[in-house]
Parts: sequence; C-alpha cells; structure tokens
Amino acid sequence: MAIVEISNLTKTYTTGVIKKTPIKALSEVSLSVNQGEIFGLLGPNGAGKTTLIKILLSIVFPTSGTATVLAHPLGSVEIRKNIGYLPENHRYPSFLTAIDTMKHFGRLSGIPSQTLRERTQSLLALVGLADWHRVKIRKFSKGMLQRLGLAVAMLNDPKILFLDEPTDGVDPIGRKEIRDILRSLRSLGKTVFLNSHMLSEVEEISDRVAILNKGQLLHVGTIADITSHQLEYEIHLLTPTSTEVISQLSSFCESVRQEKAILHVIVNERIDFQKVLDILRRERVEIESFSPRKSRLEDYFLRVITTGVE
Amino acid sequence: MNAFWLSYLTVREAVFKGTLLFFFAVANVIIAFFIFAIDSTNGDLSIFGNPITPRGISDFNAVDFLFLQLFSGSTFWVILFGLFATAGLIPAMLEKGTVELYVSKPISRPLLLMSRSVGACAGIALNLVYFALAIWLIIGVKTGIWHQGFLLASLTVIPLFFFYYSVVALIALVSNSTGFSIMFALVFWFFSSALHVREMALYPWWDNPVFHRLLDSLYYATPQISAMLESATKLIGPDIMRRPTALAQGGFDPLPFLYSLLSSSLLYAIASWRFSRKDY
Repeated sequence: MAIVEISNLTKTYTTGVIKKTPIKALSEVSLSVNQGEIFGLLGPNGAGKTTLIKILLSIVFPTSGTATVLAHPLGSVEIRKNIGYLPENHRYPSFLTAIDTMKHFGRLSGIPSQTLRERTQSLLALVGLADWHRVKIRKFSKGMLQRLGLAVAMLNDPKILFLDEPTDGVDPIGRKEIRDILRSLRSLGKTVFLNSHMLSEVEEISDRVAILNKGQLLHVGTIADITSHQLEYEIHLLTPTSTEVISQLSSFCESVRQEKAILHVIVNERIDFQKVLDILRRERVEIESFSPRKSRLEDYFLRVITTGVE
Repeated sequence: MNAFWLSYLTVREAVFKGTLLFFFAVANVIIAFFIFAIDSTNGDLSIFGNPITPRGISDFNAVDFLFLQLFSGSTFWVILFGLFATAGLIPAMLEKGTVELYVSKPISRPLLLMSRSVGACAGIALNLVYFALAIWLIIGVKTGIWHQGFLLASLTVIPLFFFYYSVVALIALVSNSTGFSIMFALVFWFFSSALHVREMALYPWWDNPVFHRLLDSLYYATPQISAMLESATKLIGPDIMRRPTALAQGGFDPLPFLYSLLSSSLLYAIASWRFSRKDY
C-alpha cells in the first residue's frame, strides 16, 4: 500500500532581486513509497533530495504537481501529526538538556504528558543517551546530536520517519545502532524515508531506492534489481596482459579494465564470462584466480549520475 | 498549550542569551540605589539628602514628580533594552536547521510567530513588573504614599512593547537579520515620534493636503509609540517636563492604545501571512 504518492512534483526557486533567475530544484518527479519499507533517496549535492522531503512536510511549497502523505494532501496538519523528521544540520536549542529537548518538542507535537515521560526515557535509552539526559546539549558531539535528533523524531510514534543524513557525524558503532533501529522500525510496519550520501548504508538497509540528479528522477527500483543487473568479475593474473587481449575482450564485454595484474570484467550474460576465460587461455595468459563480484549500488549510482543511462 | 510552551522556551532562550539577565542586573542596581538614596524621614522627599522639588512649580507633589521622572526615564531604557534583548529571537527561530524543527510540527506558522513574539515580550514584561513593583514598594514604604498611577502606567508599557514588537517581527521575518531589525525599529521609533507631532514638525515641510493625509494615514496605520507613552504618563500626573499647558488638561486617553492594537494586529497579520508562504 502506497503511503506517499508523489505526482509530477516541480519546484522552481528564483534568485536575484532585479533580474529573477529561475532554478529548477525538482522537475516533474513522480514516485510512491510503500508502507513498511525503507526507501532510500540518493543523489549528489543539489540534486533536490532535501527539497523533496521538505515539500512533503510543507516546509517548502511546490511550484506545481501534487502529493499525498498518509492519504492526506500536502499542507494537512494530519501529516505533521503522524510523521517524524530529522533535518540535516539540525540545531536544537543548545541551552536545553537532552530531556528538556525531548519534552519541548514532544509538547509541540501534542503528546500527552504521561506518554511523553515514558517515551522520553525509553527513546533516550534506545539511542544510547540515557546517561546524558541531564547534560546541556551544547556539550554534545555531532554524533550525539544526531542520536538525540533521531530520538526526537521518533517521539510521537510516527507512521513515517523522514531522515535527512541521519548518520552524518556518527561513529561506525553508532551507525550500526541507527541501522538496527531503522530495521526494527520497519519490522513494526513503520516507513522510513531515508536521504543519505552513505551509499553502502543505503544499500544495506533500503528496500527500494530513488536516484535524483539535477532535480530529475533517474531511477526507482529495488536494491536487488540494481545490484544484480550485471555480472562483474575480478580476474587475478600472474602478469599484466597486452592491450590486444583487452581489445578482444572489450568487443563483447560491457566493460574491461586492467589495474596492474587484475582484470575487472563486466558482462551481461554468464556465458560471456566463459568466453573471456577461453580467450585468456588461448592467448596463454596465466590466470592465478578469479571471483565474481556483485555490482554495488555505488557503481550503479556513479554510472547513472555520470552517464544518465541505467 | 503549544503556544504556551513555545512562549516559555522563548523566554528561556532570551535569558540564556544574557540580554535579559543584563536587563535584570541593571534593574537591581537602580532598585538598590532607591533603597539607599530615597529618604523622607523629616517629611520632605530627598535623594541623598537633597530635597526633590519640581522645578518652578511649588504646589506640585514631590512624589508625583519623582514617579514622573522615573517613568519617563525608565520607559525609554526599558524599550531600548527590550529591543536589543528580543530583536534576535525571531531571526534565531528562522535559522537553517532550527526553522525546520518548528514548521514540521503540527502547529500553524501564524501561531508559531505569535507565540515567539509573546514569549519575547513576556521576558520584558517580567523584568518590567519586577522593577516597577520594587520601586513602588520602596517609595511606598519610605513615604507612605502608594502611588497606583505609577503601577498602572508601568503596566501599560507591556502592551506598548507588544505593539511595537509587531514592527520588529515583520522586519525580522522579511530580512532574517537581527541588526537590520534593530536599526529599522529604532528608525521607526523616531519616525513614530515625528508623526505624533506631525502638525508641527512635518506638515510645514510641504503644505499639501495629500501629503498631510498621507502622514495621517501612516500615523494611524502604525503603532503610536509616543502617543501611548504620553497617555500612560497622564496616569501619574501632568507631564510638567514636556508640555505643561497641553498636558495639564485631560487624563489617560485609551485611543492611542486602541489604534496601536489595530495597527499592530495588521502588522502581525502581514508577518504571519508572509511566514505562512515562505519556503525554508
């Protein structure tokens, strides 16, 4: 069931005081996000990822197009009651303690006092800040602030969590803990809309991803679709091979690249890899070992962004 | 309830920034001065032994005179300090990384803005009430005269500041700049004072009825700072220092407050409208 439906969403900003110059941040973006999935939104800086999230939360208003969140149209207060949001580079009032921050933003979300007390304690423990709850947050590290932000975003037990770079500044252990929290939220049927530069992280936990570049949606699909699209192999040779052999392989392979004595080969069909091995043997190239390498999201992302071709 | 918590946090923020604490410290210094300086043991009111006598008006009450002087002097500083202490609160809320936290909550943007403004003014009001009550008590205990007019006049500064703050709120929202908001608010204060005496000060510049009506419109379309202060002063007694002839007649006039309520409502409405339509 789609919990977020976006249809032809366009956002154009204007710059300049006298001569207005339009800048298209989003161009005719359409996609849907299902309930209970972790949806990753990828793209280089300035791709329009944050703008898309902000439009869904009515922080930014669209130029054209429509969207619904939890079946409510944009701008509805019902959306803001049922979502959690962790903005990028958030700045909670530094004079508050962690517990005061939770209480303040919980009250603004309209959470009853008793529920707020209980959830504050449990969420601070969940994000590993239980021992820091009386400390002023101006003493917190970036990673601790991110954990606090995540706890605040979960205060109202939201149906959808919008997270903009949630692991920014968090150490590896903290990142793993955040990933575990997001997985547990998914198992509870919550939806997570994740905006991150950490491609390996998105690959690890997302069910589906969308790739945005210069405001245009380039791809939406499952991680499995993307990473099993092509077959990639690493062939370790005893000595580097000649350019003639490389050009023979390039005639039917998707990509052939040699780094010292390692050949990186991408083929579309498994049988093509057998042909690669046949050619290498025929040319008396000594093979030490070979291994299949799953195409990573990062490779796919870089190719889509640089070439625009899926 | 949301509005209350937002206003409460705004007061805490103003305290944290130190400007309200400075305000409080200055108030305490003045209070301490009055505790030690005022004396009326021999029947005449004196400061460090120097009798207080209204200049040239022998039958004017010395206590009224003292309260008048205090009110005239302190309101100027209260408004000025208040402006510096609170002008940054709205731009601070609009900073990137902060505004998203607030506008993504289930609370309307106009309510956000109004709660912030009320919170800013509440901090000033708390200081003002503390200061006025302390001075009133000190002089009351020392002279036996419990001057209600001074208390009432001091209380009128609270709505006055809230009406004035509508200018700050609007400019802060448009410019996102604390410095510009303060400068504009000070220029407005000066301009408002000039508009209050426009018949004498501004009409002669250009003897044109259209120009005169334009000045009249501006006067009624914006908070009337000087007129409100002048009216509040009448709660204490005639302002002998300023315009004895004109002010000797008539009492407190609520109309400047009513006009300012309407004009500041308009300014807050424009600010709310702008805030509701702005991308962050």
